[in-house]
Amino acid sequence: MAVKLVVDGVGKDFLIPVIDHVSFTVDAGDFFCLLGPNGCGKTTLLRIIGGIEPATRGRVTLDGEAIVAHQPHERKVGVVFQEDRLLPWKTIRDNVALVLRPLRLAPGERTARVARYLDLVGLRGFEDYYPARVSGGMRQRAVIARALAIEPDVLLMDEPFGALDAQNRRIMQREIRRIWRETGRTIVFVTHSIEESVEVGTTLVMLSARPSRIRALIRNDDPGQRVKLVDDLDTMIMEEVERQQGASDGRT
Amino acid sequence: MTPRWVDRLHLPTLAVVIALLGVWALVSAKYGAYVLPSPALVARGLVDVVVTGEVWKHTGASLARILVGFGGAVVVALLLALAAFVSRTARGVVHDVVAVLNATSVFVWIVVSIIWFGLSNWAPIFTTFMITLPVVASNLVEGVESVDRRLLEMGDVYRLGGRAKFTAIVVPSTLPYLIAGMKVGFGLALKVSVVAEIFGVTTGIGYIMNYSREILATQMVFVWALVMILVMMATDRIVFDPLSRRMSAWR
Repeated sequence: MAVKLVVDGVGKDFLIPVIDHVSFTVDAGDFFCLLGPNGCGKTTLLRIIGGIEPATRGRVTLDGEAIVAHQPHERKVGVVFQEDRLLPWKTIRDNVALVLRPLRLAPGERTARVARYLDLVGLRGFEDYYPARVSGGMRQRAVIARALAIEPDVLLMDEPFGALDAQNRRIMQREIRRIWRETGRTIVFVTHSIEESVEVGTTLVMLSARPSRIRALIRNDDPGQRVKLVDDLDTMIMEEVERQQGASDGRT
Repeated sequence: MTPRWVDRLHLPTLAVVIALLGVWALVSAKYGAYVLPSPALVARGLVDVVVTGEVWKHTGASLARILVGFGGAVVVALLLALAAFVSRTARGVVHDVVAVLNATSVFVWIVVSIIWFGLSNWAPIFTTFMITLPVVASNLVEGVESVDRRLLEMGDVYRLGGRAKFTAIVVPSTLPYLIAGMKVGFGLALKVSVVAEIFGVTTGIGYIMNYSREILATQMVFVWALVMILVMMATDRIVFDPLSRRMSAWR
């Protein structure tokens, strides 16, 4: 399979090293999950990949093109943040249409695309609602439609379902899996929930405690192994959490 | 079929008003119409100025001056806020200028404007401008500063240009601050411009109030005070309330 995204020796210091040294590649069409204990820099790593935040060291390339924060590039990156970041004064339709503006599509194509992706995420009939008038789950669907509408080379998702209740979370996990299958997009998905990552991801990366490195890289393609995989990852994450607490206890 | 305003009447407030009118009538009877004209006298005066049309002449003159002075203040405040949005240095300067203007007394501007503009329309206009500018500007700068950085970051991720970010994110999130600032500013403008009208002009609510005092027509002082209060409440109801309601349609 073609390599889509290369993360090569990326690290980040905030006074102390947060991300030590992380390297991996993501294949085109992969559903790639970043896992790890709280505070291990998952979100930061995702922001570096998206070119939102600069790395202290290492480089990121998407389709062979370097992604550097605050520098223009030709790739398209869709991002789903932890919060919805919808403009509250625009309807769901206009929120999606807004991000298509820089693509300079023909007006008809633009309208069609907005409709297509709102349909895909199951928001037909809610186009003219303001974000405050719909549920959290629907806002998250709108955000996914917005990110997909630019037809991104990679879709970055940062704990997108963290703010949802357990039931909506389950529904949205199934939905994102379906949307991924239907669109064939490459997704990099950050979560701290092991069950969630095993539920949705095809490749799972477990980061270690701070300063983070890759603790394990696992293909998740055998549904029969899921229960065992969750157990293994649970053990791993607890070890990392203990290591982190041990380290901070030692310091104080 | 009870009209809508009847439903909106707050009975306890009505009771207080009636009680106050009673006290007012009693005190007026004791001290005489020069010190405190009776409610009936004031009511008759109000009817008179409406019937003769005098009310429009003076209210119109005051409002015209306010429109120029306050309108100018809003325009300049918008420019200052824009500067504050574009540059951090400008933001600091605007902050300090607003602080100094806020600390300056109305009287300073009245005296200075009489020296500069003589006894003309421009004295109350300039005073209104200088007093309302810091109020509107500080609200607007606060609005600009409160723009959600996470939304701007979202705009960057999707490569919205500066103009698109400005019109889609900055303007809508600052608008409520502008309206709030304008509402307070307009109220202040009305209160301040009438003071400046005491000097040098021959129209306007401030002028006519002072004139009424000079000719010992105390009831007319009360009439014009009443007119001012009504104008203030009417603009709130007719202009600002619908504006802020329209703007929060998405909430």
